[in-house]
Amino acid sequence: MDLLSKLEQNGARKCVACGRCTFACPASQIGGEFSPRGLVERMILEDKIPPEKEIWLCMTCKQCTQICQFGVSFHELVREVRPTLLTSLPPEENHGGIPRVLERLSAVRKIRPSRQRWITSGIDIDQSSDTLFYVGCTPYFDVIFRYLRQDLLEMPRSAIRLLNACGIAPRVLMHERCCGHDSYWLGDVETFQRLAFLNVEALERSGVREILTFCPECMITWKQLYPKMVGKLSFDVRSVTEVVAKAIEEGILRLERNEEVYTFQDPCRLGRHSGVYEPPRQLIRSIGRLVEMPRSREMAACCGNSSFVNCNAMTRQWQLQRGKEALASGADRLLTACPKCLIHLTCGLAEGWVSMERRSIRIDDLYVIAASRLSKKA
Amino acid sequence: MENSPLPSHNFQDREGSWNPKVVAFCCNWCAYAGADLAGMTRRQCSTNVRIVRVMCSGRVSPGMILRALISGADGVMVLGCHPGDCHYRGGNFHAQNRVTMVKELLALAGIEPSRVLLRWVSASEGDLFVQTVNDFVANLHRLGPLGGSDGSAV
Ligand code: SF4
Ligand code: SF4
Ligand code: SF4
Repeated sequence: MDLLSKLEQNGARKCVACGRCTFACPASQIGGEFSPRGLVERMILEDKIPPEKEIWLCMTCKQCTQICQFGVSFHELVREVRPTLLTSLPPEENHGGIPRVLERLSAVRKIRPSRQRWITSGIDIDQSSDTLFYVGCTPYFDVIFRYLRQDLLEMPRSAIRLLNACGIAPRVLMHERCCGHDSYWLGDVETFQRLAFLNVEALERSGVREILTFCPECMITWKQLYPKMVGKLSFDVRSVTEVVAKAIEEGILRLERNEEVYTFQDPCRLGRHSGVYEPPRQLIRSIGRLVEMPRSREMAACCGNSSFVNCNAMTRQWQLQRGKEALASGADRLLTACPKCLIHLTCGLAEGWVSMERRSIRIDDLYVIAASRLSKKA
Repeated sequence: MENSPLPSHNFQDREGSWNPKVVAFCCNWCAYAGADLAGMTRRQCSTNVRIVRVMCSGRVSPGMILRALISGADGVMVLGCHPGDCHYRGGNFHAQNRVTMVKELLALAGIEPSRVLLRWVSASEGDLFVQTVNDFVANLHRLGPLGGSDGSAV
């Protein structure tokens, strides 16, 4: 596809250069030269993909697309021009590129990942169920980011405990591969295609009718990205928050409330990309009090990084800002529902911030906190 | 190195007369000198190994090991000074932590952790260097190529 049709397809030629996108964009706000408006303009005027490293600063958080009044889908445009720059002007990979290498290794058919060691006793798995729980990369993150948080595996475990309490004992895949989310957004089309086909193939004749994910990135990958690649799939995809919120509404599930005050970091893949705003909030209201930060829901601020590339000192500033915002909301705890948001925010707010503010806010995962409120007798 | 583009999966040239490819990160002060000694004393050593000299085994990050594997190595060795002998005092302990982490990741990824090896080889241990390399290569022959013996990546 040439640039002109890419611009056309994503509505970029309807841009009126109002600058709303650049105003809202985290990558622009934290400084540097990056500007969605400027990029759209140059692509239209110069009719070429500008060979700029800044393209990797975009976190594909969809804030620009959300706020644009003229239907420009800038985050999609960014993704579409990235494959041409991936080898000539690659992004700076953080953490030595480990997450990406693991994703690429899992795209090799003969290599069969075996990550189910996170499954411990006390959670019910039923391998004949037609509901699948897709765990995603968190078992890897547990190894890579153990120095930041020791409770990362508690996320999938807690999600399953909540599902169990709703009467669902899901199936898990014994040789689950990465979903390929980061490859997709970084423009590594080859790896993403392989993973899409391998993953869909693994489920095709398995009798699975529904996939539940706790990671919002896995969710959009199965729900929105795979169908684009391989056609309509024969199963539904839902976030565990949706299932649990529904069970609470129907009175199937009751969680213990206490006086704690929470605020919620909408993960961009759960919020803007999927439109799931209310279920996590229902969940929070059932365990305590929810206060909102000024930038929430559609306008939620990004956690500061996507795909583990181009993390820098300005990212830190952004995260610090978000931390202060959370603190100012009066909450005792900042909850999120995405392993990456949790990792990035924990990392970003780990140092510096206590000494600057002399106060801090705890950051935790929604599933873990909610599962700790399951009544013992239920 | 960390930010260079990754070459595409190169699992194709592994059919027929497959021979394991090994990347060995050797620290300048001990293991590399040990390899040198092995050469000077004309020890017979497997030719499968490509040595990368680093100043310290602590220089080798998990990302470097994993990148070597995805770029076509069937196994990676990290060879450093014996505990207490590190030229920079504690670099080899960092190496130990990192290799442990890589092995844990490999196990999850479905790759035999024994494809990555950490050993202490001093400058005077030419024989140990040869023995370590030969044993490692023999093990790789048993395991077969990384990514499938039929040569197809997917
Ligand atoms: S908000 Fe939309 S119309 Fe305005 S500059 Fe950005 S892309 Fe163009
Ligand atoms: S997707 Fe987010 S980071 Fe990227 S240009 Fe839009 S607002 Fe900025
Ligand atoms: S915020 Fe921390 S964990 Fe996230 S990419 Fe940056 S350095 Fe890594």
